[in-house]
Amino acid sequence: MTKGYLCMVLHGHLPYVRHPEHEDFLEEDWLYEAITETYIPLIAMFERLSADNVPFRMTISVTPTLASMLTDGLLQDRYAHHINKLIELAHKEVERTRWMPAFQRLAVMYLGLFTQARDLFERYHRNLITAFKRFQDEGCLEIITCAATHGYFPLMDVTKDSVRAQVRVATDHYARLFGRRPNGIWLPECGYQPGDDVILKEAGLKYFFTDAHGVLHATPRPKYGVFAPVYCKSGVACFGRDMESSKQVWSSVEGYPGDYYYREFYRDVGFDLDFEYVRPYVHPDGIRINTGIKYYRITGPGDHKEPYDPDAAREKAAAHAGNFMFNREKQIEYLYELLGRRPIVVSPYDAELFGHWWFEGPQWLEFLIRKIAYDQKTVRLVTPPEYLAENPRNQVVTPSMSSWGWKGYSEVWLQGTNDWIYRHLHKASRVMSDLARQHPSVEGVKRRALNQALRELLLAQSSDWAFIMATGTHVPYAHKRTKEHLLRFFRLAEEVQRDQIDGSFLSEVESKDNIFADIDYRVHQ
Amino acid sequence: MKAKRNARNAKGATAKKAVRRVPAAGRRVIRSTKRLLRKVQEIPLQETHVAEAKFYTGPATSSYQRPAVTPVEQRELPQGYDEDVLVVQVRDPLWTHVYWDLRFKTWDECRARYNADFEKARWTLRAYDISFIKFDGTNAHRFFDTAIDVAARNWYMNLGAPGTSWCLDLGFILPDGRFVTIVRSNVVSLPLDGPSWMTDEEWMIPDDAFRRLYGMSVGLGPNVSSPVGRLWQERLKRDVSSGAVTSRVSSPVGKKAERPSFWLVVDAELIVYGATEPDAAVSVQGKPIRLRKDGTFTLRTALPDGKQEIPVVARSAKIDETRTITPIVTRRTTRTP
Repeated sequence: MTKGYLCMVLHGHLPYVRHPEHEDFLEEDWLYEAITETYIPLIAMFERLSADNVPFRMTISVTPTLASMLTDGLLQDRYAHHINKLIELAHKEVERTRWMPAFQRLAVMYLGLFTQARDLFERYHRNLITAFKRFQDEGCLEIITCAATHGYFPLMDVTKDSVRAQVRVATDHYARLFGRRPNGIWLPECGYQPGDDVILKEAGLKYFFTDAHGVLHATPRPKYGVFAPVYCKSGVACFGRDMESSKQVWSSVEGYPGDYYYREFYRDVGFDLDFEYVRPYVHPDGIRINTGIKYYRITGPGDHKEPYDPDAAREKAAAHAGNFMFNREKQIEYLYELLGRRPIVVSPYDAELFGHWWFEGPQWLEFLIRKIAYDQKTVRLVTPPEYLAENPRNQVVTPSMSSWGWKGYSEVWLQGTNDWIYRHLHKASRVMSDLARQHPSVEGVKRRALNQALRELLLAQSSDWAFIMATGTHVPYAHKRTKEHLLRFFRLAEEVQRDQIDGSFLSEVESKDNIFADIDYRVHQ
Repeated sequence: MKAKRNARNAKGATAKKAVRRVPAAGRRVIRSTKRLLRKVQEIPLQETHVAEAKFYTGPATSSYQRPAVTPVEQRELPQGYDEDVLVVQVRDPLWTHVYWDLRFKTWDECRARYNADFEKARWTLRAYDISFIKFDGTNAHRFFDTAIDVAARNWYMNLGAPGTSWCLDLGFILPDGRFVTIVRSNVVSLPLDGPSWMTDEEWMIPDDAFRRLYGMSVGLGPNVSSPVGRLWQERLKRDVSSGAVTSRVSSPVGKKAERPSFWLVVDAELIVYGATEPDAAVSVQGKPIRLRKDGTFTLRTALPDGKQEIPVVARSAKIDETRTITPIVTRRTTRTP
């Protein structure tokens, strides 16, 4: 008998990085790596489950920036080039390792993975959004949206117009891609500010997620903790993250990805091999980068690494999936008794954890889904709309301001390294609201300029830039992006106000920052 | 007078220094927070780490660090926008970040109005506790003042009371004690750092049951003995201490293994190359190899320790003839110490 629900949520996101002005741009690799290592393995998994008629339910956010990149022709062509180069390198590796069988089988494995990735990519005509859409249309996937450019809402509290624009642009974009309105939203960084639910409601959204304490510290006290959703006064449902299931995957102590048999992320042939040999596969300026071919397993603490053994790792992934399921069964049985109703356990993860960072993650997920389908009866996979349809009566509370960042609030995005950006972002946001109010309907070049101004503002608001400034890698790029978009914004705003629009500048930034082709500047008010 | 105006435009470096000048009460908190911060920054939480791995292309530098590839944008954002503005943002249940800017005109007006008193005035942030009321400027529950360096243009302020609402004034205290407000901030509400004490009748739950549920919800298990209010603190503590283990383990969850200060890595590869008739069939160690158009070929392999015999066999396409050449290579690696 079903005693409770498990809601697996993957948050798929990358900031908008697209530089047509450069042949080869290092930060674009974030996308290419995630396509090969995360998105394609997930799609391949959905295909296998679907082919085998395995019932499953999964919720996945595809952020508007990620979706825009996945549907962009230039980036699609660049990915095709990227994967072809990888296949070429894998062929060379198969030859190079001929006297080292432990490595050669891995080279053969990568050759297979890369070739399959290319086949799948071409099979969907290079547009992976159509793949995700297919499984949503089949009823297995619940695809949710996110803020347009992953702007962090709690730090936009003084410029709510921007929150509204982030939500509206996102839901409109979703509707065009997926042919229906989104039901739910993943708030960037799980950042919830009381009152934002009203804006979600206006956009037709029915639910969102917070970290555990967003619900636990709600007013009044939530009777079922995080094991039932709550309604905000606006009527929008809020699902709280369960920490126990999260820490089994995230935690360094109990977490699965740190297992010594799993693949080591930090050893890559891009760094390990002779420079002249890898040169054609790293950055053209001769900077070594990760290629994705990694031969070692975590092995243990310290520098010494043993060759990766895919069979042993696969067995570990199966065992870890079994352990995860067993723990959910126990947890749900206990909660069922304690609560007197069927609990829901919400387990959200960064999608890029699976495959890119935890190489065996997609295998683990597939084992888990199959085991839940066939090996037990206590737990049922569920999507939030299904849960709400079956359990419509829930407590009304005001969730607490919270995020899933370090320490649970806004400190990651508001600290000495990045606090300087907010005076500029807020100013730009106020200017945008004024412009939208002053120009209720304009056409032609002025309309284009206003639309582009909003694109620039949204791009500047990506939480990724503040995050990167805080964590310390690629910082100059994050500075650059923040300043560049703001400067373009202010220039466009000034030109609109003076009614002297520089057409060539406008065309140039339209082609560079080409996201959200159908944007309407009037949503920012 | 000029100096003051320059100070107002002081760059980030000055601003940072100024921020450190915090009232005595807050200093200890900052110090301990900083220590904690340092500790945690070395060992970021797993969540941060995964997200970071997403942006990890290897220890390479960003394209933007090499002007040869991408000319670095020369233009900079302005220091301010010549407006009177004071904005408070919530960092966590205790702390807020405040930034401000003043128009030159405002500055001149104050100076004209208060003359010499203005030069002696102390710049102050006045924080009003306005929880659960509509603030009209006079009805705050309480307020407190923080002396600031107005040139800093931003400040981290500990309001110290989760669950309360605040509004700030930026202004100065004249020698006679009067407070002059220049600009008033937005209103912020600090989140709770534990469960609410409010319950609703329809959805009542006994304290004991809630405590268990709370412990489970934050991943501490059902058998925790702390009062509910402290459980959140324990979750934070646990996260930090589990992070401490991370730094010593080389795993995807942990940081990249640290190399010792001095190190050496050596490996060897072998290149076998040759040429024959372009249409001949060539195999190396029994495995066919592809020829270039001009009949040349190259094989590059890793060379492990041991002896390798590498027969290279070419078979003509036109006549029934073969040629075999067999390089024999031995690698032996020694190490000292």
